[in-house]
Amino acid sequence: MPLGTLDRTPPPFFKQGPSALSKLMVCSALALFLMVADTRFGITQPLRAGVATVLYPVQWLVLRPVLALREAGNYFESLRSAQLQEAAAREKLARQSLRANQVEQLSQENERLRKLLELRERITTPAQAAEVLYDAADPYTRKVVIDKGLAHGIEEGSPVIDESGVLGQVTRAHPLISEVTLITDRDQAIPVMNTRTGARSVAFGDPAGGQSGALELRFMAGNADVHEGDLLTTSGVDGIYPAGLPVARVDQVERRADAGFARIHCVPQAQVDGARYVMVIKPVAGQLPPRPADLAPTPAKGGRK
Amino acid sequence: MIMRPGQQLLLPANPLFIWSSLLVAMVIGMLPFGRVAWMPDLLALVLVFWSVHQPLRVGIGAAFLFGIAMDVHQASLLGQHALAYTTLSFFAITIHRRLLWFTVPSQAVQVLPLFAAAHAIELAIRMVAGGVWPGPSVLLAPVIESLLWPLVSVILLAPQRRAPDPDENRPL
Repeated sequence: MPLGTLDRTPPPFFKQGPSALSKLMVCSALALFLMVADTRFGITQPLRAGVATVLYPVQWLVLRPVLALREAGNYFESLRSAQLQEAAAREKLARQSLRANQVEQLSQENERLRKLLELRERITTPAQAAEVLYDAADPYTRKVVIDKGLAHGIEEGSPVIDESGVLGQVTRAHPLISEVTLITDRDQAIPVMNTRTGARSVAFGDPAGGQSGALELRFMAGNADVHEGDLLTTSGVDGIYPAGLPVARVDQVERRADAGFARIHCVPQAQVDGARYVMVIKPVAGQLPPRPADLAPTPAKGGRK
Repeated sequence: MIMRPGQQLLLPANPLFIWSSLLVAMVIGMLPFGRVAWMPDLLALVLVFWSVHQPLRVGIGAAFLFGIAMDVHQASLLGQHALAYTTLSFFAITIHRRLLWFTVPSQAVQVLPLFAAAHAIELAIRMVAGGVWPGPSVLLAPVIESLLWPLVSVILLAPQRRAPDPDENRPL
């Protein structure tokens, strides 16, 4: 029989290290501690960032064939659909050109009027483009991962928008990538304003609603003035989202006689399940004026940080 | 060494092959297929396989580390996969002496409860931590994993089934 056919080292009889049960107990305790630290104390971010940075080359490698397939799909897209898309884009551009041309004049006028009224100037928000790398595979949350991180100046808590509305919020920023929680996640809340009535409320994520998740306006009275088709935009009172970004459109209003609140379902305006290019906006909190000192501190309202 | 009658004497496992198979399973698990609840966890399958076949080389510590890596990749609760994989590896090591006496299809039936337990642990943790119910298709994942057991057994044992003395008639 040639050499190397069998294991040359016999299994150890006496020196077997700690037993499997003790290893199980140590590892389970460590895992439980990590879970509690992650959810309650929020102190695991350095560990996460470290592991994410180590994993980044692997992820980069894995994403190559996927991105190549995407590119190939774009390349072999038929001429007809490309022309249709171009026509739609031109039409949209034409519709927007009137407003876009007026914006300069309106903003100047707005600035002058605001000076007349001694109001503070509107906040301008720096933004940064990013690409969605993949949907996080965790089926218990609604998150995507984008290709910009702390190294590119992304901050935790930054709002993320796509071309048609608010997509979500950066909830974890790693050195090279960041995790974005979508507005349809169950734990995500966003302060909104009904553009028709000016009423402010808070929209909560409803991942079970619709095909790719929806939003729900909670705690609205049964006789509240909300109609199907109302557009909800960010209200700007939270110190995170700039005002006036489209969030959702009211899809269905259920008013029940037995309940004090109406059930209001909304459809997100952003493409929560298909966005590819997004903009990450700096939270406006840093640019807001400081709170007057004599006011009692109230708990921060608005989106999760 | 007591062996099942008719069982083939295997070559020693190459540690390089063991670790690279685990890495490949992790990479396949990282492919962006989207948010699919019934997606079988190939890394869990390969971890159980090596915990059963080579418990001295792949054990609970390795399972824990791979679990942490998957947690960070999937942006899930840190420690969720680590706990599930640790439990999987422990039960795999517990049954490894018994399991190899059975044929491969019966092995697949016997590892089904392990995978079901691992997924149940993840589900319970996330429900307690306030996650979204991922739908009944999550029940399919352990079944698919145990259906893949024979395939994984064939692939991962192939290097150990080569001829001990390769010649020109048996090059591999």
